[in-house]
Amino acid sequence: MTRKQKRLAIIGGGVGFLVLAAFLVMFAFSQAIAYFYVPSDLAKANLSPGTRIRLGGVVEGGSVKRGDGKTVTFTVTDTLAGVPVTYTGILPDLFREGQGVVTEGAFVQGSSVFVADTVLAKHDETYMPKDVADRLKAQGVELSGKETIK
Amino acid sequence: MIIELGHYALVLALATAVIQAALPILGARLNDRGLMELASSTAVACFLLVAFAFTVLTFAYVTSDFSVRNVWENSHSLKPLIYKISGVWGNHEGSMLLWLLILTFFSALVAAFGRNLPETLKANVLAVQGWIAMAFALFILLTSNPFARLVPAPGEGKDLNPILQDVGLAIHPPLLYLGYVGFSVCFSFAIAALIEGRIDAAWARWVRPWTLAAWTFLTAGISMGSYWAYYELGWGGWWFWDPVENASFMPWLAGTALLHSALVMEKREALKIWTVLLAIMTFSLSLLGTFLVRSGVLTSVHAFATDPTRGIFILAILVFFIGGAFALFALRASHLKAGGIFAPISREGSLVFNNLILTTAAATVLTGTLYPLVLEALTGDKISVGPPFFNMTFGLLMLPLLFAVPFGPLLAWKRGDILGVSQRLFAAVAIGLVFGTGYYYAMNGGPVLALFGIALGVYLIVGSVTDVALRSGLGKVARNVAWRRFTGLPRSAFGTALAHIGLGVTLIGIVAVTAFETETVVEMKPGMTVEAGGYTLRFDGMRNGSGPNYTEESGHFTISRGGVAVSEVWSSKRLYQARRMPTTEAGIRTFGLSQLYVSLGDQIGEGGIVVRIWWKPMILCIWGGTLFMMAGGFVSLSDRRLRVGAPARAKRPKTVPVGAAE
Amino acid sequence: MLFWILVAILTAAVAVVLILPLMRAGEAPSSPHSHDIEVYRDQLDELKRDQDSGLISSDDAELARAEVARRLLAAGESDRVVTPAVSPRRGANRLAQAFVLLCLPVVGLCLYLLTGSPGVPAQPLAARLADPNGDINVLIAKAENHLAVNPNDGAGWDLLAPIYMRNGRIEEAVDAYDRAIRLLGPTPARLGGYAEALVVQSDGLVTTKAQEALQQALALDPNDPRSEFYLALGLKQEGKKDEALTAFNRLVATSPADAPWLPLVKQHVAELTGAAAGSAAAPGNPSAEDVAAAENMSSGDRQEMIRGMVESLESRLKANPDNLEGWARLIRSHVVLDQRDKAAAALKEGLKTFPADGDGGKQLLALARELGIATDGVTQ
Repeated sequence: MTRKQKRLAIIGGGVGFLVLAAFLVMFAFSQAIAYFYVPSDLAKANLSPGTRIRLGGVVEGGSVKRGDGKTVTFTVTDTLAGVPVTYTGILPDLFREGQGVVTEGAFVQGSSVFVADTVLAKHDETYMPKDVADRLKAQGVELSGKETIK
Repeated sequence: MIIELGHYALVLALATAVIQAALPILGARLNDRGLMELASSTAVACFLLVAFAFTVLTFAYVTSDFSVRNVWENSHSLKPLIYKISGVWGNHEGSMLLWLLILTFFSALVAAFGRNLPETLKANVLAVQGWIAMAFALFILLTSNPFARLVPAPGEGKDLNPILQDVGLAIHPPLLYLGYVGFSVCFSFAIAALIEGRIDAAWARWVRPWTLAAWTFLTAGISMGSYWAYYELGWGGWWFWDPVENASFMPWLAGTALLHSALVMEKREALKIWTVLLAIMTFSLSLLGTFLVRSGVLTSVHAFATDPTRGIFILAILVFFIGGAFALFALRASHLKAGGIFAPISREGSLVFNNLILTTAAATVLTGTLYPLVLEALTGDKISVGPPFFNMTFGLLMLPLLFAVPFGPLLAWKRGDILGVSQRLFAAVAIGLVFGTGYYYAMNGGPVLALFGIALGVYLIVGSVTDVALRSGLGKVARNVAWRRFTGLPRSAFGTALAHIGLGVTLIGIVAVTAFETETVVEMKPGMTVEAGGYTLRFDGMRNGSGPNYTEESGHFTISRGGVAVSEVWSSKRLYQARRMPTTEAGIRTFGLSQLYVSLGDQIGEGGIVVRIWWKPMILCIWGGTLFMMAGGFVSLSDRRLRVGAPARAKRPKTVPVGAAE
Repeated sequence: MLFWILVAILTAAVAVVLILPLMRAGEAPSSPHSHDIEVYRDQLDELKRDQDSGLISSDDAELARAEVARRLLAAGESDRVVTPAVSPRRGANRLAQAFVLLCLPVVGLCLYLLTGSPGVPAQPLAARLADPNGDINVLIAKAENHLAVNPNDGAGWDLLAPIYMRNGRIEEAVDAYDRAIRLLGPTPARLGGYAEALVVQSDGLVTTKAQEALQQALALDPNDPRSEFYLALGLKQEGKKDEALTAFNRLVATSPADAPWLPLVKQHVAELTGAAAGSAAAPGNPSAEDVAAAENMSSGDRQEMIRGMVESLESRLKANPDNLEGWARLIRSHVVLDQRDKAAAALKEGLKTFPADGDGGKQLLALARELGIATDGVTQ
């Protein structure tokens, strides 16, 4: 190999690696991201069961029910529509009725219940998940005066 | 009055930074010694002024002076002293002041210890530092003034966010900032080189230790932050691929690459232009991290306060410095003389490979972090890019690098012999496989990937030890000669080995926890027992207690093994009074390198409570490995001697070495 | 004055530190390449040491030495090419000194006057606690600190509870009343205050918990007008109009003719007689729809009641603006009703009577800040 060929080989190897990485990123984007929905979006979303999504909204007052201790069911609502959610595990400290949450999981085949494996609540009393706040605002829902959206 | 004096000192620091930014660079142009010397005195004066302002703010916190708005918003008179002090940087304004303090501290260090730097280089470097200091001082004074006053003063503060009231917070941000801002020095050196159009030999001699120091602190800061999130948030996770974590991880990846390319530069004068580019990219990523965290485009525990003017101001700083730096690079890079030449298979070649993978990985993380923001801006769709994405892309990309790590130090400079190195590493591979298989059987039934991961970790560790052993000629020369050579090895060789061992240790921790962790969520009544990791936990009941500014309910658990009580653990839920905010204080017990992690949920009925128990095998390896890396950094840093990479002689004289990657 | 002297000293000190190196602008700097040469010499020394200790073979060392020597030669070469340094320019130096002397005070003072608050003293909490000087915030803080150490001092909680209530710190007021009742035993005043705090906490709704406290208060003192009023209000909210009407009427009968609460009570009576007449027209048992309607009405009523109170307060203040407490209450009520604009407007009105730099104005501003109302622009 001449000097030039070697140099080309190195540059070619580098570019090849970058192309490979780019493909990997594209592939991962098609596989491993979750779209964010609020309950009233779901009707038009037409999701196939098992698709991972993030579902955000407000925990409906009075909807939190404990099952056999570990499993909790509650309704996530954007005031226009509500979706029943089940979650097994420990809810975050700041999970409360009437407060914003983001849940991540999927719908089970043939059921309208959303099975969440992750529940995120606000970090502190003045924090509302931005996704939720934006969407709720877009749906025309104003939050009570105490809730400052940041 | 003292408060206002601190405020004035900060304003004066800005004025000093203006002089520091303007005059020395002119001096370097005109070759005027007086103007160039101004760089050092302004840098030191600026640091002293900011340090005074910072001390005054700390004083206001310690004395609970609620006439200072920042203190009122983030402190409480009943808070323990340590959290009053750490509260200074537990909020947006204070943390920016800390950022500035560290920046000016580093400038002062360059001024004080830069005697052996060429004067024009020193003047230009400090001028660039002055530009950065000026931008951030202006940002603080105009949009995030920590000295804003409240009249009349409230009687009590609003308290610091309880999850930030922790020793971890006292140390995590300063360490992280030492890292972030440390890269500003490398950036300033790079810009100075571009301004002058030449890179001195002294340049590399300076840039490598700065990179090393910044990298070491950043490693410590990230590791600390990860451990803090692990025990404070109560979710039992140690890394979430949260955008804010990524914001600190990207500079770390780029910084690691910079560390390795600066090595080539110092020893071989090769990869000059690439190193300059990398130094610019690393600090740009640090600035981007600051922007992402501070501007409020991301919501997280770190986004203390969000205010659009701040976001736009930081964005302007970002565009100015990153855009300016890359524009300067495009204009001037061709003026820099390309350096040494080397064959693709050589120590340099392996370091290029390292750089290629690390920068690609950083780019991947950047893509994953920014993609949701870009997509939302373009289409309005909201998506979340979570751990699955990063595990898939980042994990796969890093694999070849992990394989290559032990090869690097064994290859000769300029041209190397990969076959010979492979033979010498054969033992390491074998030992790795044996350990991996052994661990697999010990944990019987873990996933096959875990076997591979553990083997890779052990291979990294053994490979790094092999490297040091081979370099001291162990087994080839007489034992006393080998010992003499061993002690005579440059400290940076030990630093390298330690850091690479650390990588292996962290990898083992990650793989073991991911593959073998067990999680139990159970409703417990007093007297009930649960099995986890071979231990039995018995729930004994709840107790109420209170601290200085919170009340808590704690559950007591007795841990036994084979019927014998070996330990106990308290796990609690706290309610902080001032903010009426609950937090979880997980109970954690360490057994060897593994941990039992107990976190409480809601109470149910009579004395019953939901409990989440994790068994985290080998989890301490994750942070233990970073301790090795830090130790490696410090050992390498203590190597004050100048090193030359002796090139290997060509075996076939006809082969012409090629200049690569320049 | 002392402050400005210190500012001047600080500025001057920095200026001196910066001017000094400019004054002794000495000989031109040494050539940049001399540093490179130094580095290469060091490298050669280092190579020799490594070779001596056997770390590298003499073969490799020779090769490395050749490389370094080449660089050394190159550096020496360019050293000779480098143009001799220009002698320092006096002019540039003078200009630089002028720049430093101007930049420091101009940038410093302009920015400081823009962002600073000269003349505001430091106010460490300890000093303020030692000498409260009538500062209500400090008095509260002092009491809180005392209670944090002695949480069983019932008298302290008893004292603090109504103050919390007045300052709009409702949750703390509930807690303080609760503790005072537990530690000192129930009295009509404590129970009534507790119930009132609960009512405000639940946005004006008389909850079961509040009703229990009120009944207990009435058991202790059957003529406690506050308890009677809230119980009657509770009945009204539950839709028990006849009972509510009876209760309100009894309150009217037992109250002295000039009691300040009478207008409000009479307003309720008037509303109820109107509403009662309506419901009396509907025969038979109440249907599910009726109950739902009543529920809706009661929540609407509640808002209506508060609105009515606020409006009467507003008109009174318009007639007689010299009533600091009245303004404070008006601002707070608007916030409770989630009418922030109106609260801000009320603040502005109030400040007309009580200028912002006076004591009263300061109190209003502090309250507004506490309630999170924008105070920017109101004072101008």
